[in-house]
Amino acid sequence: MPQPLNSKDASLFRQVVRNFEMKQYKKGIKAAEQVLKKNPKHGDTQAMKALIMSHLGQPEEAFALAKEALRNDMKSHITWHVYGLLYRAEKNYEEAIKAYRFALRLEPESQPIQRDLALLQMQMRDYQGYIQSRSTMLQARPGFRQNWTALAIAHHLAGDLEEAQKVLTTYEDTLKDTQPVADMENSEAILYKNTIIAESGNLEKALEHLEEVGYRCTDVLAVMEMKADYLLRLDRKAEAEAAYTALLERNAENSIYYNGLIKAKGISEDDHKALKALYDEWVEKYPRGDAARRIPLDFLQGEEFKQAADTYMQRMLKKGVPSLFANIKHLYANPTKRDVVPTLVEGYISGKAPQSNGTAKANGDSNEFISSSYYFLAQHYNYHLSRDLPKATEYVDKAIELSPKAVEYQMTKARIWKHYGNPEKAAEEMEKARLLDDRDRYINSKAAKYQLRNNENDKGLDNMSKFTRNETVGGALGDLHEMQCVWFLTEDGEAFLRQKKLGLALKRFHSVYNIFETWQEDQFDFHSFSLRKGMIRAYVDMVRWEDRLREHPFYVRMAVSAVKAYLLLHDQPDLAHGPIPSGSNGLDASDESERKKALKKAKKEQQRLEKIEADKREARKAASATAKGADGEVKKEDQDPLGNTLVQTQEPLKDVLKFLTPLLELSSQNIEAQGLGFEVHLRRNKHLLAVKCLSAAHAIDPSNPTLHLQILRFRKALDSLSEPLPSQVAEVVNAEFDKLLPKSQKLEQWNESFLSSNKGSAAHVQAALDGRQILNPASKGQCEKDLLSTLDLPGISIDEAAAALDLLDKWDGDKAAYAQKASKKWPESSVFQLE
Amino acid sequence: MVDIVPLSSYPSYIDLLPAIQTCNITNLPENYFLKYYLYHALTWPQLSFVAVVRPRGGYKTATAGGPGAAGDVSGQYPKVVGYVLAKMEEEPSDGVQHGHITSLSVMRTHRRLGIAERLMRMSQRAMSESHRAHYVSLHVRMSNTAALRLYRDTLGFEVEKIESKYYADGEDAYAMHLNLQDQWLDWKAIEKKDRERAKAEKKKKGENAEEEEEEDDQDEGDEVGELGKKDAEKMIRVKVGRGLGVGDLVEKNEAQAQS
Repeated sequence: MPQPLNSKDASLFRQVVRNFEMKQYKKGIKAAEQVLKKNPKHGDTQAMKALIMSHLGQPEEAFALAKEALRNDMKSHITWHVYGLLYRAEKNYEEAIKAYRFALRLEPESQPIQRDLALLQMQMRDYQGYIQSRSTMLQARPGFRQNWTALAIAHHLAGDLEEAQKVLTTYEDTLKDTQPVADMENSEAILYKNTIIAESGNLEKALEHLEEVGYRCTDVLAVMEMKADYLLRLDRKAEAEAAYTALLERNAENSIYYNGLIKAKGISEDDHKALKALYDEWVEKYPRGDAARRIPLDFLQGEEFKQAADTYMQRMLKKGVPSLFANIKHLYANPTKRDVVPTLVEGYISGKAPQSNGTAKANGDSNEFISSSYYFLAQHYNYHLSRDLPKATEYVDKAIELSPKAVEYQMTKARIWKHYGNPEKAAEEMEKARLLDDRDRYINSKAAKYQLRNNENDKGLDNMSKFTRNETVGGALGDLHEMQCVWFLTEDGEAFLRQKKLGLALKRFHSVYNIFETWQEDQFDFHSFSLRKGMIRAYVDMVRWEDRLREHPFYVRMAVSAVKAYLLLHDQPDLAHGPIPSGSNGLDASDESERKKALKKAKKEQQRLEKIEADKREARKAASATAKGADGEVKKEDQDPLGNTLVQTQEPLKDVLKFLTPLLELSSQNIEAQGLGFEVHLRRNKHLLAVKCLSAAHAIDPSNPTLHLQILRFRKALDSLSEPLPSQVAEVVNAEFDKLLPKSQKLEQWNESFLSSNKGSAAHVQAALDGRQILNPASKGQCEKDLLSTLDLPGISIDEAAAALDLLDKWDGDKAAYAQKASKKWPESSVFQLE
Repeated sequence: MVDIVPLSSYPSYIDLLPAIQTCNITNLPENYFLKYYLYHALTWPQLSFVAVVRPRGGYKTATAGGPGAAGDVSGQYPKVVGYVLAKMEEEPSDGVQHGHITSLSVMRTHRRLGIAERLMRMSQRAMSESHRAHYVSLHVRMSNTAALRLYRDTLGFEVEKIESKYYADGEDAYAMHLNLQDQWLDWKAIEKKDRERAKAEKKKKGENAEEEEEEDDQDEGDEVGELGKKDAEKMIRVKVGRGLGVGDLVEKNEAQAQS
């Protein structure tokens, strides 16, 4: 029941509201308390106090008080509005919307409530609700252009392009005068309308509209791009040609424009002569550009290619362009080109540059020319399609000898060691590169990355700390979190995962997950901000991008690793207490006492680490009581820096879903994601979901080795269910699965035939052998023998060989024999050095 | 091969933002959260550009009738090797409308290709055309000779002053600027075309309609502009319940914005 306030208190209450609006939170609290002293059950005041408290970083207390406020005054729009705002603050959008709706019912005319509701509807993509809110807001204040634009956006995103156009046009019709050229909101609104027309498919009309209004839009490049695109799609070739020419004149370094121009001119892909002539024209126009020189190398063949490549490479080597190889390597898909390129460069070194105009030696920079050439060849022989690591080493050493201070050369040396399968040497060499230019963050980042690849988490972070703001809460790592340094957090987590330090691994993966949450949340302010700024096209693009945010390769990579970590945790729950030497968690039950010993040791270590972290925390607290983050907020210390809470979960298979779900939804074409989805769902006994993943993977690559093994395991799982599936589920599962592996097919036979038809590929053989081992454990001896002989396959990679070690781990097989043979094959590698 | 593409105008490749942020934090000590990049992309969508490595086999082309008939970068996530993040100064201390380079970097593996120059020229032109910027300003570390050479010798910037201890590590910065008025659009010509069109339009409509038009005119035009402004101010003030608003972001990062 609302309590009426006397006039003094009522004015005090208005003071509270003002204080809040002016961000005078402490004053506001004081004033609120004054009111509450005499009117302890005044809901509105309680609500305002709660709102201020939430801004002072007391969310729990705020919520409790807001609830009390609501109990005291259910009929007040203020108590409901505040209740909604608090839900909004803790990102419970559904509840916030409900609360706003109540508030709005009590106070239908309230602009702030209506606006807050609309913003959330947008954030939640409740387009129908947003259309309603926006219509109401437009009716209340039709004089503002942004209210019209907002309604148009609502219709547009809801898919009603016609209505969106209509709304924009209605507003335009009220503008009788031509708007000033400087009015960017107008210019943008017009271009926005144009994109809607184009999206509706009526390109003729879009083009006509653009011709009519484009000349006065100040985003000149956008108008040119739109026009060129429309013309090309309308097949109006001559005009499209002119449009793409104009774009190239602005920016000759965009291959898309050349594509457009070539399509417009109707030059066939095979007409190399015409194509070359076209590019030559642009080289002449913009002699300093790269694109027009480089692109012809893609299509030229034979002697023409050789000549063009020669000219191109000599020019770049003389300039000492470090990205030359990166620029050339795409050509290697063509073996002839792959073989021609090094002979040319070797020729430069031996001084017999064929077809060269003006020899390199005459050039004053001949030294740089030669060292660049060595550098190029080092990269050439380091590249997977032309790999010869001893040769690569030879060349890189020569390059370094000539230019000992060149960071790039030393970097390549590190990369060669990486490909040798020796992360330790690679990290060492990269550290040398870093020391050549310790003021450069790029090489610093590389050195840190290589240390992480070598599982040296502390060293990597220490290097990173040379460029972070270490006064941030949490030190260097805190700054990397705050600055959303996704690459580092992911690499760090993956290094922990390799060491089976699952707590820390999960900690990092969750951090990256939270960064994506933040990125999604980031759009919220733009729902109102962009309307004020009027840059509508960019805003709409942003909204659409946010909807597919987690298809980003950064997310995919992190989520894949996170799912692997959770699967490992589920399969080996002892790992919750820290890394346990492999084998002791294996199948051998007689090792129970060993296992217990290892577990005890791990737990002790875990406690020791926890203590260290706690001490560090205390020390930091003492050092600086009020450390602040970049956004000025007081940051709380992380109470669980080791991720122990995460790793000690009772339900790893439930926790993993938040990583997995976006992966399967947005990256359904990623076969690794589907494979992991299968692993999770099988362990959860969700057979229908599991078979769905198998089908999806099958559609991507039916001969994928992981898929093969999973199909085999799924059949085994179906054959040995502890209780039968519900009949409806069984029906669907069987029907789906039968398409992948017919019931009549005998597993052994099927597996062996997979083996024999893929015997050239180590990965496939491994999968089939694993399958055989599952079907017939007695075959272990033969399996090990067959696995060992995969080392003789010409194409086997170090990574594949390393995977065999894991397999032997699983079988509890003879790793030593395998490692020994692998070491002979790759003597420089460190992966086969078993401790 | 490196392509220079726009960030968020048309076409819009806003999904490059996370890779731009990574490029920045890989190369430079001055870093920002993604929202600050978003703020640039959504406030001055014309001004920022990205250097991406063309994927093997090129870009996909738009599916049946979609935009990007000649090639479409979005959803392809190519490697970002350079970017220029630019803005218009919102409250210029000299009262003159001008642009500012918030951040520019090119991966050291992709230097000497003229990428930084190209990025700068694209941004400068857009500032001039879209926003009628009188000049563009930026800061550069005094020790960064390569950047200095680009700005001063290649692009024609002048040192305006030295800002002591501009960078967090205590290094001084050159504050540089470059006049952009030579690339302004000819508004007079545009307005002339406006008038010609209006005339032609009126002729078509006939005289009665013409009078009605004038009346309506006086009613609306002004009010919209005025109210619009007031509303914007008010909206900032009553803003409640969001952690870090865009408004806060602007003030906050202004101090640390640097190239």
